[in-house]
Amino acid sequence: MAEPDYDAFREEVRRFALAHCPPEIREVVASYRKLSRKIWAPWQRILHAHGWGAPSWPKEYGGTGWDARQRVIFDEVMAECDCPPQYHHGLRHLGPVIIEFGTEEQKQRFLPGILDGSDWWCQGYSEPGAGSDLASLRTAARREGDHYIVDGQKTWTSHAHEADWMYTLVRTSKEEKKQQGISLLLVKLDSPGITIRPIRTIDGWHHVNEVFLDNVRVPVENRIGEEGKGWTYGKFLLERERLGGANIAPHRMALERVRDLVRTELAGPAREEERGLLLHRLLEAEAELLGAAELGRESVQAVMDGKPLGLLPSVVKLSTSVTMQSISQVALDAVGSRLASRFRRVEGEGPNANPPGLEWVQNYMYARVRTIYGGSSEVQKNVIARQLFGN
Amino acid sequence: MPFAATPLVAGETYETALRFGEEAAAELAPLAEPSAQAACLRAQWDRIAALGWPGIAVAEEEGGAGGDLAELAALLCGAGRTGLALPLATACGVVPALLSGHPLLADAASGSARIAAILPGATQDPGEEALRRQPNGALHGAAVGIEAPPAPTHVVAFVEGDAPALLLLRADAPGMELVASLRVDGRLAYDIRCRGAVPEAVLAEGDEARRRVETARDLGALLACVEGVSAMGALIEQTVAYLNQRVQFGAPLATQQALRHRVADMYVEYENLRGITAAALRAATTEDVLPWRAIAFAKLRLGIAGREVAESAIQCHGGMGMTEELPAIRLCKRLLMAEFEHGGRVFQARRLLAA
Ligand SMILES: Cc1cc2nc3c(=O)[nH]c(=O)nc-3n(C[C@H](O)[C@H](O)[C@H](O)COP(=O)(O)OP(=O)(O)OC[C@H]3O[C@@H](n4cnc5c(N)ncnc54)[C@H](O)[C@@H]3O)c2cc1C
Repeated sequence: MAEPDYDAFREEVRRFALAHCPPEIREVVASYRKLSRKIWAPWQRILHAHGWGAPSWPKEYGGTGWDARQRVIFDEVMAECDCPPQYHHGLRHLGPVIIEFGTEEQKQRFLPGILDGSDWWCQGYSEPGAGSDLASLRTAARREGDHYIVDGQKTWTSHAHEADWMYTLVRTSKEEKKQQGISLLLVKLDSPGITIRPIRTIDGWHHVNEVFLDNVRVPVENRIGEEGKGWTYGKFLLERERLGGANIAPHRMALERVRDLVRTELAGPAREEERGLLLHRLLEAEAELLGAAELGRESVQAVMDGKPLGLLPSVVKLSTSVTMQSISQVALDAVGSRLASRFRRVEGEGPNANPPGLEWVQNYMYARVRTIYGGSSEVQKNVIARQLFGN
Repeated sequence: MPFAATPLVAGETYETALRFGEEAAAELAPLAEPSAQAACLRAQWDRIAALGWPGIAVAEEEGGAGGDLAELAALLCGAGRTGLALPLATACGVVPALLSGHPLLADAASGSARIAAILPGATQDPGEEALRRQPNGALHGAAVGIEAPPAPTHVVAFVEGDAPALLLLRADAPGMELVASLRVDGRLAYDIRCRGAVPEAVLAEGDEARRRVETARDLGALLACVEGVSAMGALIEQTVAYLNQRVQFGAPLATQQALRHRVADMYVEYENLRGITAAALRAATTEDVLPWRAIAFAKLRLGIAGREVAESAIQCHGGMGMTEELPAIRLCKRLLMAEFEHGGRVFQARRLLAA
């Protein structure tokens, strides 16, 4: 098979992105503000209409048929053009699980809404008593005819306040091993018995919620795969979640933005030394990202070849999360003394109340979560160590 | 199964270099006296010369074996796992690049000419001056700690000034003084002082001279990274093995999470360095000119990751981490030294910042 013309492909993606991604969406990305469904969903619809809705999926389910290099080019150009990275919960997390383990009806029912961005998904894994030790989860589902009745509480549920659906791990039976007896259910969030409450986080953005489930009826046909085997599917999904970091392109854009910030914030000869110091730290971060980019490329290739990912997801998650934190630290060091002291206005709330650039402070705060969620750094190190030591 | 590192470039050359390096390390380990170590290295050099390593990537018509960069990288991969104390990156990569087109290249390829290279950035002791050329052509000045094959026969030196030049000198020419030391990693290095020494030949002048030393140094930096990745992989294997075997508090140390996490951190550093080095090596083998930025970033990473991993490995070995001959600790010393070779961390950072 002839090799694709990669330069022409890059140009084609760039032309498309600049012509079709609405300026108001790119503005939000470029100014580092929080992304929400209002930003993501229209862009997903546009991509899908062009046939580019799911670059990471097999072609027969709506994928693009690109090779690994094209996938990486697509990500790079999207980031360079300030297009939002595609929303992950449907496309990268749940979609592949449905494709791998779902029934024909489930594929028909759920994949189209993910592809065109009309269904919005969130992840109900964590519970107050089940964080790193996820398998100790207690939210229970008991069978009643052709429904499950679900009772319990999820927490830290990102985007639940704007989502239509939640994929969730629940306990369907008590077994000897806590990893057994767990099932993966798809729950409609407007079902009776569901209460969603916001959690206030240190970054000042709203993204996480508590989700209470009180006698919620979920049709049995909304269970993915076998009853009691949810842990297997959940882990399959988590592995894909950790690979989120394999797309290094947005990180590199973030780094460029912070570099610009340092140059403008610390402009002039009087601040040359400070500037040099911060630019040097960014250089070290850039070197780390270059290493991670190669590992990302290897991961994409492995997934496409159907090869096992081994430790790559953990390594990529661990290293990019820390690098992104370092980058956000540099930004904070550049603007912190000026802006961290004005984090919230006492009066005059509203979109324009904050001084411009405050997003850097919020971002620094938000970046702390990168080593906590999706399997904390300590948990990833446990995974790696188990492999390295052979036990 | 505990961790086993995969070489960046595998194959026959890799295997040969690995076996050679293991024997060489076993031979050196019991020798305590620096003079005995130097003599041992001298004999080992003759053996790699007989194997044709210095000429592995020199074109056949110039007296070499005609191998490519991948072949050379395979050599460094194999030797790197063992911390071989011979300057392969310099002798098989940097020096041939400097001598390109000169008849001495054939002797360098056969190993009979052993060449020390003084490149821009070479260090001096306080109060000494860098090499400079006097109007009559004679050289004055010093460069210290120059990594070189045992008992150099020649010196290649780059001199700055109005007319920058790359010069070739005989090591035994009048006015030349070479004093040998062992580096932290047990390799030989020379303090080279010129007091009116007259060059035997001008290898290149002006921009051509500068271009040639820069390319040669970048090649050296890339090979140092390749070697470093191998050394790091082997070091992690050996640290894992040590922690699996050493018992304290009634259980193998490998059961202690603090140590497991430190090793996991080493692995992440290793993978990251492997990634950036693989990408730079791929670019270097497919593009016409050496990708200097990719190499500079990789070398920057080697400096940071190398220290991190070496320090962690020493810590994980406890008191044993302070001992001289343990193979793992020899690899640590090798990694600590690699940072300074062919443009150190600070040099690479300044260069990237200036670009
Ligand atoms: C902003 C945000 C968004 C999130 N989004 C979602 C979401 O959409 N869906 C969802 O299901 N969850 C989500 N989470 C939850 C997240 O995955 C959990 O916070 C995470 O798994 C850690 O669990 P925990 O908070 O209970 O911490 P704990 O498990 O209590 O851990 C506390 C500390 O102990 C460490 N620790 C735990 N176990 C060990 C061990 N064995 N060895 C060493 N150290 C250990 C941890 O690393 C951590 O440092 C989100 C969290 C946040 C903050």
